Amino acid sequence: MQGRGAALPPIGVALDGDLAHRLDGLLAIALFNGLFARGESRLIALSLSRPSLRGAQLVEVVSAFYTPRPREGVGMVGMPEGPMTAMSDPPAAAILDREGPEGPLYEVRVKSLIDTADNAVLIRNMLLAQHDGNAAIVLAGPATGLVRLMKLYGARPQIEAKVARLVLAVGAFGADAAPDPAVAADVAAARTLLEEWPTPIVAVGREVGEAVAYPAASFERDFAWAPAHPLVDAYRAAGEPGRDVPATTLAAVLHAVHPGAGHFDLSPPGEIAVAADGRTTFTAGGGGRHRHLIVNPARRDEVVRLWTELVAAPPAPRGRRGGPPTAANQPPQPPVPPTRPPAAAP
Amino acid sequence: MVVTGKALPRRTFLRGLGATAVALPFLDAMTPALSAKTKPPVRLAFLYVPNGIDMANWNVAQEGSLTGELPRILKPLEAFRHDMIQLGNLTHNSGRALLDGAGDHGRCAGSYLTGIQVRKSTVDIKASVSCDQLIANEIGNETRFASLELGMDDSRQAGDCDSGYSCAYTNNLAWRSETQPLPPILDPRILFERLFGTDADMTPEQRERRTRYRRSILDFVMGDTKRLQSDLGPTDRRKLDEYLSSIREVERQLERAERDSIEIDPGLPKPYGVPPDFGEHFKLMSDMLTIAFQADLTRVATFMMTREGTSRSYREIGIADGHHPCTHHQGNTDLMEKVTRINEYHTQQLAGFLHKLKNTPEGDSNLLDNSLIVYGAGLSDGNRHTHEDLPTLLIGRGGGQVQPGRRVIYRRETPMCNFHLTLMDMMGVHVENFGDASGRLDLAELG
Repeated sequence: MQGRGAALPPIGVALDGDLAHRLDGLLAIALFNGLFARGESRLIALSLSRPSLRGAQLVEVVSAFYTPRPREGVGMVGMPEGPMTAMSDPPAAAILDREGPEGPLYEVRVKSLIDTADNAVLIRNMLLAQHDGNAAIVLAGPATGLVRLMKLYGARPQIEAKVARLVLAVGAFGADAAPDPAVAADVAAARTLLEEWPTPIVAVGREVGEAVAYPAASFERDFAWAPAHPLVDAYRAAGEPGRDVPATTLAAVLHAVHPGAGHFDLSPPGEIAVAADGRTTFTAGGGGRHRHLIVNPARRDEVVRLWTELVAAPPAPRGRRGGPPTAANQPPQPPVPPTRPPAAAP
Repeated sequence: MVVTGKALPRRTFLRGLGATAVALPFLDAMTPALSAKTKPPVRLAFLYVPNGIDMANWNVAQEGSLTGELPRILKPLEAFRHDMIQLGNLTHNSGRALLDGAGDHGRCAGSYLTGIQVRKSTVDIKASVSCDQLIANEIGNETRFASLELGMDDSRQAGDCDSGYSCAYTNNLAWRSETQPLPPILDPRILFERLFGTDADMTPEQRERRTRYRRSILDFVMGDTKRLQSDLGPTDRRKLDEYLSSIREVERQLERAERDSIEIDPGLPKPYGVPPDFGEHFKLMSDMLTIAFQADLTRVATFMMTREGTSRSYREIGIADGHHPCTHHQGNTDLMEKVTRINEYHTQQLAGFLHKLKNTPEGDSNLLDNSLIVYGAGLSDGNRHTHEDLPTLLIGRGGGQVQPGRRVIYRRETPMCNFHLTLMDMMGVHVENFGDASGRLDLAELG
């Protein structure tokens, strides 16, 4: 049943992907915090697209940094069931194993598989609580979980009703497009998703993320408000000081939330095909339902500036039941320009 | 009743005056000689308590065998620690608001066995066929009653019982169709007569004469009883004696309850024959449920111990505050303690029922071993109205399909409907999908 009479809340976005294995996946959690603070979006579900307990712990720690007391469902980490993928990334160790003066610096609340949810069920459950057309999904990993979501009994009509768009932070559509390991991990699922997913699909290729990378300087400059910050720890542990972080997932999130804001250009409609090695190709026309994002060089600096404003924002105050901040519970903050420009580009 | 040299039919009744018919328990004489032993049927009952449970005093901390000290609310079930599984993390997403606003009590009860988000309305109600009724539809023709619906509190079917949700949602567990709930029987006398068909088909004169002389139903079937006893072996004769004695005991309780309901003013309008004491009422209803299972009158039952959202007080244990207001304690330790005591009191009643089932021999085991008793609530934390990690116990062995004595915790958000599908499987009813189920529970963890 649709609620009546009240204004729609900001769009709810489910984020599923290899979030623990790519820094832009963790940065995306911070980006949602910044968007939430401005009343522009809500992160409704957070999940890994491959099973990894260590990954779930990492993602939950970063999520809890921004939302220490999540309400039911939100703040929970989903992932598929199956053999755990190995994870020895230094960023994970830097966060999960970092000691403070009185023990672990970041509380790890995910102790075992039972502290996580099935990602398909979690996304389905959270979608059901959204108004029609007021949800989006961002996928930044293998499509296995979303295909399972489509196959859940009764879920497909709900996806059609609730989800305005699916944005894929996978693939590559530039001149030297190489295979994407996230696609190669489950080629069959990627093909099924592209063929059967019932809403418009927009893909964000690696070339976009590299063009609007998150600036390395921001980690040392913009997070000083926190005595310890998991994203700074993760970046330092990655061992590539001074290297900007490709921001494919950030671009996907921004497009999912503000598709008409003109931060990027869009390809004409067409078809994305998936090769057996995980390579993706886009062919315009043919009545296709797919598009992909294209960097607009004139807007690049503005987008990068937006990353730092949003990603480096302190934890947003929450409403009484975890809802959007209200004037009553939000401390005074300096005015910030809205993410969506006053006159949205087509 | 006709007894031949062959095995006694499972559906044998002792018949008497009017429509009086007393079904028999499972007897050795019902097993054909020189043939494989007949396996007793599996029975399923859902016992529902409202307003959530104090989870801090309910959940066993660790997965695995129930070896350590039980939490306070489970302590009354100490004798059954090897007969039960405590399930963790089962969730009813359809009980959540999902844009429908307030009304968690109406939603959680309406969705508990139907597995869907019920329509928010006081008039145009809509739920779905509940899992107990899906089972009853399949196997109900094998018993006198496809299912039994019991309650103890309130069976109003109309009006607003929670923020725009019809009382049909808060007061029923079983739904025969999308729009037809099956109201529970509250009055022990009515349940007794439904089970044994005594007064219903009697003439007014017969009813009046029976009431005047307070004759037992057993008197009416005495002729059949004697004929049967002469054909039974000593073990079956003892079983039959015990069974008939249990019926007589229920009759005595009923008579006592009827006297009490006249002599004691409970302060509430009560239907005739309902004892004012909660424990006594529960005992009567659960004793009759035991008999119904024992005699294979039904294999499926729902029992709403009190209606969802009830503000019933528990003066029996010195709690004058309403149950529902207590659960919204907002951290007040006095109110929290009262909630815990009410929860304990409920499990004390449950223990009595389980004792009865366990002490009822059947085949090589007992009635509890051949049953699946689900005890739980549609909310976990009644203060915050949470719909995840719903308090759920599965007691009994389901005829050997379940290995109890353990705490099993599933992943978060695991649909309660997965449990329902699994229960349906164990009852021999195979349904492809149910509610928002994403699959079955891992039987290796249950069985």
